[in-house]
Amino acid sequence: MSANRWLATGNFFTSYREEQRIFFTHLDRLVFVAVLVLLFAWPLFFELSNKYMLVVNHTLIAVVAVMGLNIVTGYAGLISIGHAAFVGVGAYTVAGLATTLGDSHKLITHAWPLMIVLSGGMGALFGAFVGLPALRLKHLYLAIATLSFQMIFEWVIHFMGFFNQGQTIYIGRVHWLTGEVGRSSHYVFWYYASLVVVVITGFGIRNLMRTRFGRCLIAVRDNDRAADAMGMHPGLTKVYAFALAGFMAGLAGALHAYLYRGVGIESFTLHHSITYLAMAIVGGLGTLHGAFWGPAAIEFLDIQVEHLSAWAAQIFPAQGNLATALRPFSFGLVIVLFLMFEPRGIANWWRIARSYVKLWPFRY
Amino acid sequence: MSYFFQLVISGIVVGSIYALSALGFVLIYKSSRVLNIAHGQLIAIGAFMVYALTVWLKVPILIAFLASMVLTFFMAMSVERVFLRRLIGEPIISVIMVTIGLMSILDGIIYLTPFGSVNYSFPAVLPVTPISFGGVSISWTQLVGVIITVILIGGFSWFFKRSTLGISMRAVSDDQLAAMSIGISVPRVFGLAWAMAGLSAAAAGAIIGNITGLNFDTLRAFGILVFPVVILGGLDSVFGAVVAGIIMGLIQQFAGGYLDGQWGLSGTANVLPYIILLIILLFKPHGLFGTHEIERV
Repeated sequence: MSANRWLATGNFFTSYREEQRIFFTHLDRLVFVAVLVLLFAWPLFFELSNKYMLVVNHTLIAVVAVMGLNIVTGYAGLISIGHAAFVGVGAYTVAGLATTLGDSHKLITHAWPLMIVLSGGMGALFGAFVGLPALRLKHLYLAIATLSFQMIFEWVIHFMGFFNQGQTIYIGRVHWLTGEVGRSSHYVFWYYASLVVVVITGFGIRNLMRTRFGRCLIAVRDNDRAADAMGMHPGLTKVYAFALAGFMAGLAGALHAYLYRGVGIESFTLHHSITYLAMAIVGGLGTLHGAFWGPAAIEFLDIQVEHLSAWAAQIFPAQGNLATALRPFSFGLVIVLFLMFEPRGIANWWRIARSYVKLWPFRY
Repeated sequence: MSYFFQLVISGIVVGSIYALSALGFVLIYKSSRVLNIAHGQLIAIGAFMVYALTVWLKVPILIAFLASMVLTFFMAMSVERVFLRRLIGEPIISVIMVTIGLMSILDGIIYLTPFGSVNYSFPAVLPVTPISFGGVSISWTQLVGVIITVILIGGFSWFFKRSTLGISMRAVSDDQLAAMSIGISVPRVFGLAWAMAGLSAAAAGAIIGNITGLNFDTLRAFGILVFPVVILGGLDSVFGAVVAGIIMGLIQQFAGGYLDGQWGLSGTANVLPYIILLIILLFKPHGLFGTHEIERV
């Protein structure tokens, strides 16, 4: 293993301990730390306009949500068409407290890390509840269960005065060690907050997949009868996958609520659930780094679609908002094309590139 | 009491439309085990096609109705050919996700047309004054819609019971290998199932469009509302889809008629089907008439 892993022709693990390590070599560790330092340091040197900072933050939040979706769809192999609703549960946990306590109550502005975790807990609770049919049924029916949860969620928000009928509920500015986070530092502050959450949850998932519970998920996805025979409980495993996905979605929802300083139903519709699914598929289901590539790619696509429709609107000014048409079209096309031609997603390109380097100058 | 009967009548009207929408969905599921999440988009496209033909191209409405059925027949068939044929043998999860992508694509295409943003309504062909007897009234459009639905469902049942193609479709849904061994082309049956689903979706869309007007969101919602219906009826039962459609229509009308306004509730008709769906999934997942082949893991 001392040899360069990039040139090795296979894995030469001699013990389970070796195989389960997070970092295989010091080089891996170094690269990881360097990327982390880069991610934390760049806002000190560059200043991005608020618009692009918002996109970056949005991407990070989507990464958290997609990591959750990846657990349920990628690792456990169950389709969830209601992930945006779980994100919404998290956001509306914050919003609900904001309406009962007042939007600048100390609990919301000062104890925001607690609120984020609490929202995650709420998400997990709802996730486990929606996953309950998994005790008896297979993926197909679970897809329908999550879809109906999405519908029920939208109805509840739309028709309850407590949630302001889906109109925006404002959330106060948070406080940090240096006092209130003002307008100028808002986006940078939430960049760091989201990044910390992403790093923690990323490590959490990487570790989860090394443990019994994570491997249980994959075993149940690959063959639930075999998993049953090995002494796992497939139904409970699925429920717990949903709870975990709900937890991550809840975290993302709370971050979303704080980032936009408001919660409205329009961010948690069926369309967003499909967007999350597109992110997970494009990134690569069942891989951890896929959860980073997917949101980045889709957000990039989103910006390009907006540019394209702005450009097209100059040529055909008669049309209405072209972006509303092009966005679902391009997302759907991306989902379909990836499923047909690259079902393993962008994460697979990395593998292809590596094997190309390994074998060069030969083709196989 | 006449209020009650009024609700029953409109429940049956709505329910028969659900039955027709669910029919196409069940057809696809029965033959290829694919959940077609884009079914609402097919319904919407059918409705818009009828409108475009009658109002913009001035075709008589009956011919437009038939022509749109034929057009969606071929459209759905080509959708199957382009997107789903190459996924035969892939895990079912990716096939379902392809239909999710398809839903998004069709959404985008419809938003490009004027139908995505403007609400149209069909010109009145039938008499506007409703038929009423003893305080209960039903509009001509609804009555004709129900009659067409009954005819179509009857036609479909005949097709599956008697015609060679229908029997081969049933054979494929029963056992693909056995069907193949007696010379039935399974991919062609899949294509045909999609085509029939498109045809029935167009019919459903045209009827809904005549009754409620052409609003994309309303029409699209039918594609998702078929889920409670087919789960209640049993995913692979055509008869179950019809019965469950009518039950669901009645439940919705009663919810709208009696629950709304009580305890500050509103719009219960839109959410009750999904709550029922979750309850059925928990307690009787194979529905009323579905086959009991669900394995418990």
